[in-house]
Amino acid sequence: MSKVSKSIKIVLLASILLLVFVVACTDQTGGGGGGCSSAAAQGWSGFSPYNKVLCFGSMEGKVIAIDPQARSDNMTFPATGEWVYVIKTATPGAGCGAMSMCSSSSSAAGAGIYDTPVVVDNLTYAGTYTGKVYAFNASRGVVRWTYPREGFDTVGAIVGDMVTDKQNLYFGSANTKVYALDAASGDFLWEFQTSNKIWTAPAVDKGVVYVGNYGGNVYALSADSGKEIWNIKIPSAVASSIVTDNDSIYFGTFDRNLYSISKENGQEKWKYTAGNWFWAKPVLYNGKIYAACLDHNLYALDENTGNLLWKFETESPIVGAPAISGKYLYVVCDKGTLYKLDLDTGEKISSMPIGFTVYGSPYVSGDMVYVYARDHNVYAVDTVKNTVVWKFSSFLK
Amino acid sequence: MIDIWNVAILDPVLNGLIALSTLLWNNFGLAIIVLTVAVRLILLPLTFRQTRSTVAMQALQPKLQEIQKKYARNQQQLQKEMMKLYKEAGINPLGCMWPMLIQMPIWIALYQSIMHALAATPENLLLLSQHLYAWDMVDQAIPLNEEFIGLHLSQPDPTLILAILVGVTMWVQQKMVTPPSTNPQQQQMSSMTTLMMPMMFAFFTLSFPSGLALYWVVSNIIGIAVQYFVGHGWGYFTMPSFRPQPQTAPAGQKTEDQKALKDGSEKKKG
Repeated sequence: MSKVSKSIKIVLLASILLLVFVVACTDQTGGGGGGCSSAAAQGWSGFSPYNKVLCFGSMEGKVIAIDPQARSDNMTFPATGEWVYVIKTATPGAGCGAMSMCSSSSSAAGAGIYDTPVVVDNLTYAGTYTGKVYAFNASRGVVRWTYPREGFDTVGAIVGDMVTDKQNLYFGSANTKVYALDAASGDFLWEFQTSNKIWTAPAVDKGVVYVGNYGGNVYALSADSGKEIWNIKIPSAVASSIVTDNDSIYFGTFDRNLYSISKENGQEKWKYTAGNWFWAKPVLYNGKIYAACLDHNLYALDENTGNLLWKFETESPIVGAPAISGKYLYVVCDKGTLYKLDLDTGEKISSMPIGFTVYGSPYVSGDMVYVYARDHNVYAVDTVKNTVVWKFSSFLK
Repeated sequence: MIDIWNVAILDPVLNGLIALSTLLWNNFGLAIIVLTVAVRLILLPLTFRQTRSTVAMQALQPKLQEIQKKYARNQQQLQKEMMKLYKEAGINPLGCMWPMLIQMPIWIALYQSIMHALAATPENLLLLSQHLYAWDMVDQAIPLNEEFIGLHLSQPDPTLILAILVGVTMWVQQKMVTPPSTNPQQQQMSSMTTLMMPMMFAFFTLSFPSGLALYWVVSNIIGIAVQYFVGHGWGYFTMPSFRPQPQTAPAGQKTEDQKALKDGSEKKKG
C-alpha cells in the first residue's frame, strides 16, 4: 500500500481511537459516575434530624452534622453541635457491581454513602458503599463502634437505608445477606442469606423484617432470630425500599410495577404499572401511597386498592423519595427542580430550580426544604419566598 | 446529537443485547459473543470485498515493487503511477477501511451498552433505566448476571490473559493483510503500525470492562477465520523468526533502492 494511504489509515485510526475515548469516557450520569471502566460510587444520602442539627452522608465519604441556623448565620463550620467524620477510603469490599456477588476481597472504590443516616438514642448510624457500618455519638460525631470490627473483612456494599426497632439495627448488603446488629453495642445478632444482592432498605414492623433483593425475592424474617417466615418470588428484581402499614408491604420493581403484598402470607393484593421503575422509597400517609417514579411522575394511589388518585409530571426522573409536611408534598426531580404540591390534589403550588442534579430525598422543616445536590452543596430553600437562603459545601472549604 | 445517537444506535444495541442475554439463559457473556458474530455476519459482504481487495493487492505486489524502484527518487510520480496501477486493476486502496469504519459506531455502542447494562454502581443503574424498552424480557433481566467463565464482565480482567489474547489476535489479523514493502522506511513504518495497534488495544484491555475485551477477541478471531478462508491461507502472516527477508540486503550489500538513492545524491553532488 502506498505511503499516502498508509498515512491516511494511521490518521483515521488515531481519530477513531480518540473518538472512542471521548464517547466512552464521557460522564453521562450528570452527577458523577460514568467514565471509563468502573464509575465512581458517590452516594445520595438524605437528611436525619437530631436536636437542632441535620445529619447526612456526603459524596466524598463524610458523615456531616450541620445546624441550619448556624449555616443561615454564616458561622464558621463546625459551630456548636456541628461535626464531621471522614470515612477512610480504599477499604476492601467496595467496587461491587450491581450484578456481581461482592466479596470482601473486591477492589477498592469511593466510600460513597447512599443511605440516609439513622439517629436513635444519641447514636447516629451510617453504612457505606465500602461495606462498613459506623455508629457515632450523635452530639459529637465520635465513633462509638463499627461493624465489622477493626481488622475484620467488610461486608458487601450497603446501598439501602438501615432501619431500627430501637433495640436492633437491620440492613441488607450487596453480599446478598441481611444483618441484624445490637444497636447499642454493634454486636452481631444474626444474618440471613438471600438469593441475590440487596441494594434497598428492609422494613421492620411488629417483630418482622421485610426485605427484597435483586433476584426478585421478598422475604419476611423474624426480627429476633432471622428465621424465614415466608418468601415470595416476583417476576422482576426489587427496585425500591420496602414500606409497611398495618396489613401490607409496598415496593417498586424493575418491571415497572408498584406492588402491595400481604404481610401475613406474602400474597399479592394489587400492583400498579407505570412507565419506568419505582426506584424511590414510597411514602405512606393518611391511607394514600405517594410513589415517585423514574418516568418523571409522582403517583398518589389509594393504599387499599392501588387506584390512581392523581399524578404529577415533573421535568425529569425522580430518584429521591418525596417528603410531606402539613398540607404539602415536596419532591425533587433529578434535574434539580424542587416542587411543592398540594397533598390532596397534586396541584403545583410552586417550583424552584436548584440548577444541579439531585438524587437524594429532600428534608422538610416548616417552610424550609433542604436538598443535597450533586455539586456537593446542601441547599436551604425557603418555599414561601421561593429562594435559596443559604448553601453549604460538603467539601468544607 | 446525543439523543439521536441514543435512539438510533445505543438503545437498540443495548436492548438487543439484554434481550439476547435473556434468550441465552441469562448469560450476558454469551450474548456478547452472539452479537459479535451477528455483527460480523452482517458485515460479511464488506469483509469479503476487503479481503478480495487485499488478495488483488497481493497480486499487484511485483508491479508495485517495480514502480517503487523505478520512481524511488520521485515521490509525486510514484504516487501517480501507483494510483494509475490501482485504477487499472480496479482496486480502491482505502477499500479495506470501510468495514472498520462501519463497525465503529456498533463498537462504540457495544462498549456503552456493556457499561450501561452491567451497571457497576447505583448511578449507572439509574442511567440504564432511561435507555430500556418496556419489554418484559428486558425488564425481567435487570440486573444482569455478569459472571462469565470466571470473568466479571463489568470489570477489567485482573489477569493478563485477555490483554494477551486481544493483542495477539489483532496482531495476527493485521499481519495477514499487511504486505511487505521494498522501501525500508515504509517497511519500518508498516511494522510499527502492525505492532502498535495490538499493543494499544492490549493496554486498553487492562482498564476496560472485560465484556468489551471479549468482543474484541471474538471479533478478531472471526476476522482471522474469514481472512484465512477467503484469502486462501495466512496471507502475509509469517512468524517473525521464520520470516524470509528478501527485501533486506545482506551486510555490505546495498538494495536497489539504496543504490538508487546513493546514485541520486552523487549526481546532485556532481
